Formats: sequence, C-alpha cells, structure tokens
Amino acid sequence: MSDLNAVTTAEAPGPAPDRPRRANRSLAGDAWADLRTSKVFWIAAALVVIVVLMAAWPSLFTSADPRDCLLGRKDAGASGGAIFGFDFQGCDVYAKTVYGARDSVLVALCATLIAGVIGVLVGLAAGYFGGWLDAVLSRFVDIMLGIPFLLGAIVLAKRLSSNPESNGVLAVIVTLGVLGWTTAARVMRSAVISAKGQDYVAAARMLGAGPGRLMFRHVLPNAISPVIVVLTILLGINIAGEATLSYLGVGLKGDAVSWGIAIAETGPYARTAAAPLVWPSVFLAATVLAFIMLGDAIRDAFDPRLR
Amino acid sequence: MPGKSPWKVAATATAVVLLAAGCSSGSSDDTEVLPNSISIGIAEPTSLVPSNSIETSGSQVLASLFYPLVRFDAKSNPYPVAAQSITHDKANRVWTIRLKPGFTFSNGEPVVADNYLDAWNYGAYGPNGQLASYFFQRIDGFADLQAKDPDDGGPEKAPEPKAKKLRGLKKVNNLTFTVTLTEGFAGWQSVMGYDAFFPLPKAAFSGDGVLNKDFGEAPIGNGPFKMKGTWQHDEKIVVEKVADFKGTIPKVSGITWKIYQDLGAQYADLVGGNLDIETKIPIENLASASSDLGTRLARTPSSSFSFVGFPMYDDKYKNPDVRRALSMAINRQEMTDQVFLGSEQPATSFVSPQVAGARPNSCGQWCEYNPTRAKQLYTAANGPRDIKISYNTDGGHKAWVDAMCNQIKASLAVNCTGVGLPKLKDLLAKVRAKEDVGLIRLGWAMDYPLMESYLGPLYTSDGSSNYYGYNNTTFDSLVRQGSAAPTVAQSQKLWNEAEDQLVRDMPVLPLRFGQNVFGYSEKVTDVTMDLFGKVDIYAVDIAG
Repeated sequence: MSDLNAVTTAEAPGPAPDRPRRANRSLAGDAWADLRTSKVFWIAAALVVIVVLMAAWPSLFTSADPRDCLLGRKDAGASGGAIFGFDFQGCDVYAKTVYGARDSVLVALCATLIAGVIGVLVGLAAGYFGGWLDAVLSRFVDIMLGIPFLLGAIVLAKRLSSNPESNGVLAVIVTLGVLGWTTAARVMRSAVISAKGQDYVAAARMLGAGPGRLMFRHVLPNAISPVIVVLTILLGINIAGEATLSYLGVGLKGDAVSWGIAIAETGPYARTAAAPLVWPSVFLAATVLAFIMLGDAIRDAFDPRLR
Repeated sequence: MPGKSPWKVAATATAVVLLAAGCSSGSSDDTEVLPNSISIGIAEPTSLVPSNSIETSGSQVLASLFYPLVRFDAKSNPYPVAAQSITHDKANRVWTIRLKPGFTFSNGEPVVADNYLDAWNYGAYGPNGQLASYFFQRIDGFADLQAKDPDDGGPEKAPEPKAKKLRGLKKVNNLTFTVTLTEGFAGWQSVMGYDAFFPLPKAAFSGDGVLNKDFGEAPIGNGPFKMKGTWQHDEKIVVEKVADFKGTIPKVSGITWKIYQDLGAQYADLVGGNLDIETKIPIENLASASSDLGTRLARTPSSSFSFVGFPMYDDKYKNPDVRRALSMAINRQEMTDQVFLGSEQPATSFVSPQVAGARPNSCGQWCEYNPTRAKQLYTAANGPRDIKISYNTDGGHKAWVDAMCNQIKASLAVNCTGVGLPKLKDLLAKVRAKEDVGLIRLGWAMDYPLMESYLGPLYTSDGSSNYYGYNNTTFDSLVRQGSAAPTVAQSQKLWNEAEDQLVRDMPVLPLRFGQNVFGYSEKVTDVTMDLFGKVDIYAVDIAG
C-alpha cells in the first residue's frame, strides 16, 4: 500500500524474484494490485488520459480553430466556445491550449522514446559486460550528466533548428532525447547488475545460452521496470523541457501551437491580460505533475521495500 | 585527493572577484551626480566618431558634444547654427559655408574651416572604413577616395585610392570654405545637418588624416557639453556643460547617458526613479505606462517608416493587382491600435508626411482597408494561395507579422505564415540569392529631412536599400531631376510626381510611420523629441 507519504527518493533496486509471493502473482501483478488502491495513481492516470485524448483528437474538446485569429477580438473576455477568452492576437485561448497539447505530448513522447532506447542499450551493455566497457560507458554517462541541461539544449536546439521554415519539432525531439537518457542508463545499469547475479541467469548460462539471449530474454525483462518508472517521469520532464526551449525561442516555432510558445508570447502582456498566460501554464503544470505522479505511483508499486 | 586544494583556492578567488564586481557596479552613480544634471537611457553606441555613427544612441550622445552647421525647424526646414551663412550658386553645385566666429572646441582650440575639411576628408576616405561615409558621396572627388578591389572581395589587396582629400572641398579663409558637388543638389543644406559633418579638432589627429585611436572613447567637440571622463562601455557616458559656450546654451548642467541592454529594464528604472528619460517605451509596457507615468508619457512623430517589400524577381507578385489587393486586405489602423497600442501611425504614403513637401495619403484607395474589393481583385489576378512574410526575429516583429498574416487570411481566404530569421542580414542574404522569401519586412529612418532621403535609397534602381529590386526608369529620372532642380519647391514638386509613380506600381506595402513614445521622471520638464528620435537637449529643463 502506498500513499504520498510513502514516496521516498530511494533509487529503485532491481526486482527480487526470489521474494516470497502472494498467491501466484507475478511482480507486475503485485504492482497492479497495489496501484489499483492508490488514489494518486488514479488521479494521475485520469489527467494523463485527458491530455493524451486532447493530443490525439483536439476536435473532441473544441470546434474552434486555434489559428483563426482576429485582431478585433483582442483580449476579449469569454464568449461562446472560447471559455478562456482571447489573447492579444485575438486567438481563442481555449482552442490554442487544447491544440497545444498535441505538439507538447508528441515531442515529449518521441524524445522519451529516443532517450529510453539509448538509455536501455547503454545501461544494459555497461551492466551486463562490466569491466572496461562499463568503465568507459559509465564515465561517458558522467560526462553527459556534467553538461548543464539548459546550456546543452540551447546550443543543440539552435544548431538543429537553423532552417527558418521548419517548425522545430524534430530539432526539439532530438535535443531532448540526446540529452535526457543518462538517468535511464544509470538505473538500467544497476538493475542489470543485480539481475544478472540471479540464479536463473546462471542456470540459463549453464544451459548454453549466449550473451544476446541472456541479455534480452532473461536480464532485460527482469530489470526493465525501474527504467519504465524513470521514463514515465522523464516524459513529464520533457514536456516541461519543450516548453522551456520554446519559451527561450529555440524550440517550436513558426505555425506550431504549443504551450511553451503561448507562454512566451503572452508573458510580456501579463499585467494587462493574464488569462492567455495563466491557462497554458496551468495545463502545462498539470500535465507535468500528472506524469511525475504517475511515475512515482508506479515506482512505489514496483518497489518491494515500500510494501 | 591530491590537487584538490589549488582548485578550492581558485574557486574562492573567483567568488571574491565576482563579489567585488557585484559591489562596485551598483553604487558608483550616487557619488558623481552633478547638480541639475539629468540621465537619459540609450543602447550601447557603436561608435562615437561622428563619421562612423549611423545609429540613434551614438548620434544622441554626439548631439550633445557637437554643434551642427544646421538644425531643423518644426517644418523640417534647415537653418544655420554653427554656420553664419550657407549660400550656393545658381546650379546648386558650389556651396559656400561661412562659420560663426569665436567658437572653440572643448579643449580650447578655435573652430576653423580646416577642422571641417579634415573631418570630412577623414570620413570620406575609403580605407578608413567609416560607416557614414556615404553622406559625402555627392561631393566632387568622392570616387577618387575609394579603393577599387581588383578581384571583388578576393585575396588580392586593394590598391591605395587615387587621392586622400576631396577635390570638392576648398578653404577660402579661416572661417569660410566651399563645397563643390558632382551635380547640383537643392537639398544639400539639409544633408549637412547630419553627424558626419561635425568638425574635428587638430587634437583628434595624430598625423595628416590619421585619427587618434582612442578619440572615439572621449571625443572633443564644439558643442554645449563635453565628456566627463571617458566612455564607460555598457555602463554610461557622462557629459557636462562647457563654460561660456557661444551658441544656444542648454538648461541642464550635465547629462548622464545610461546604457541599457534591455528596454524593459530601462522602463523599470524610469518608473523606479533611477532614470529621467526613456526615449522608447517598450510595447509590452505601453498598456500600463499611462497609469505609471500619467502626463509624463508623451508622443511625437518620428521619421521611421515600416513597410514590406515585394521581391521583384518573384513572379507570384508580378501583377500589380496582387500587390494592391494585399495592400487593401490589411487593416493598418487596427494593427497600429491593437498591436502597437497607438504608438505608431498607419502609413498611407511612401514618404513620411512629416518631411517638408510630402503629402499625407498619397497612396489613396490602395492603402485603404477594403476586404471585399481586395478579394475581388486578388481572385481576378489569380494571386498566390500561400503567402509568406519573412522577418528578423531580433527586432520584436513577430507580433505584428502574425497579426498581418491573420488579417490577410481573413480578408483573402489564403494561407499566410510568418517566417522568422535570426537577423536582418540573414534575410537579406536570402533575398540576394533570389530565394523564395515571400514578402520582406523592412524599415527605414531618414538621414536628412528631405523627400529624397526616402525616395532615393528605397526605390531608385541603384538605391542603397532597394533590396526588393524595384526598377523604373521614369521614377529614377524624376527623382534625379528633383535633386537637380534649382529650388527646393521645384524639387518637392518633382519628387511628388515620382511618388505618384510608386502609387501606380506599389513596389512595397506602406504599413506604419513611427512615433517617439517616450516617458520622463518628475524631475525633468520640457522634454521633446525630434523626427530623428533624439531628445532636444537644449529644451529639456529641471522641473520646479
């Protein structure tokens, strides 16, 4: 059973397959039983579902076009479907906020996938083979961690998005992906090290399994859950990262609609018209929080020490 | 761990240095404020050498250090200031300038004709690379001072120019000199009001035609103020009153030109009482400025002109009806009201109506908002379905380009996107390469208050800022005839005819004329700004 008070910052250790189990359940089954009773999980999951729906079918939420802007409606109050009013360009703030979810979630999802693939491969190789390869890869991870995130991201995103006519989606995905995999790699490595010492791995090796089969069939499935937790949290962080880069002018641009752009554009007018700044910020904060809470809840469920 | 301690020492040392730097920058102002002195915010000037100054911040500081040959009245007609008289021959070719006697530079040197000749020769000499040297190009012999690069930017070094001095400049006596132009130009007197025509003292030169390297750090001028210390880069420039100045005497005893990187920070200082005058209130603060400043927020016309150009190489915009339709699709008044909050005025002519001789509304029906007519015309002319507007992102243009696109979308039912490039030079490089950039965002501020200062550089086929490549021989010859006309009135008539040709061709869409939107503190009064965007340092006074 877990609730918010039980959330600790302890690093997730690998699963312990030889732990005495309740009634025939797998680790995932145990976790699911835990999650089902967690309020935090349900709140976070509901938010995530709403945001994902918004990203996939924005027309479910609004019939207005976010790019249909009329200066005559500048800073006008709520009317009809535009429940959040209009911004300084006369665009519907609600429609812009709903449509903003798509690029934000898409970017974060792709960036997290890239980070996940790199992180899992590096962590698996370092943890499984050990020795000099581990030393080299681990030091490389240390170096990557040494790069200040914002500095590295600004330099990289600026270089990648030099084409003025692109909307910057690809550049931000690559930037966040390339800079974000380090934690996943570290967690993966420690999980692999603990998993590969297990008896069933030794048994498989004695039966003649090669390193490829051992790694991907036996070690990886038993070491992946902490990485999934890390990646869920990273998803939230990447949404915030996209907004940050867009705010700084090196992220999404052109006719892309995103929360970061909306915040950057309306920020200077906050003293006279706060709503166009507040709503994208609220959606951004809620989405980031939802992913981080979800990650936390899943971690608590998978972490046997918290049971 | 060996080697740890030196790092610690270094880190501590850095911290101490940072701390010390942090302490020193804040408190320096309080100790050296002169009584009756004021502060005005500027950006870091590019140069304080008169012939190298082409932006407002430097020009503003130089206006306090130097006394010009002519200044301009409310109708932008020139009148002599440092000159006793300026006369010309019938063909407007040979101009005789008599200086007022008794003037001195702030180092005590008397101001004589040679000071002008030295300064102008220095400014015009090509290898000196002075940014404002193009002001001298009408003077006879200017071409001989320019080096011709034999391989056009290649590795081979350019030979020395043929001459070191302008053939057209002649000293008559100590206080008189003549200027001979290559061809007659009725407006030459107005041109001489610019910074590049300030005199330089003998002390500025270390040899014949060689300027002291650090002259620009503490220029010595013939104006009502002199430098106090040197230019403190990115921080401030302090000037104080010259004792018994012979010309118009300013009312304040000193000016601190405070240098800011950011208009927003400048505004915060103005409201906080740490700055007396901000010459440009940022748009973001305009909505709250009237409540922050009350009557201390003011507006005067400026010469700036914002427009978008149609690249002439792009066939999509070849039909004049397409250009007219786009012009009528834009609601200029709504844009200036809503995006610029009234800080700029809608432009319905190709030359600022503030300039002597220029007419307001010369663009007529084509610059009036008329979406129905625009749509008809556009459909009939089969205008492009996708429109791009390219702009540079470092100048705060995104908001109005987006608004303009939204207006075009709404009026013509076509697609419109703004394409941001980092700097204007990136945009111009694409235009030179004849790439598909769509409409080009551009702006202009006059060099001297003559219609020609808009017509010549912007629209003649060899104009320095005619980036879009407008080329019309009738127009070119009307502008040239206007420049050569015997009187200014005749010039203005011909220039107006030239502008009529622009109305027929619509090579650009006039959008807005600028205003100086400035604010000042309770400490000062009588703050006015001229068409060039400069504070009148002679009129400004301490309140109460």
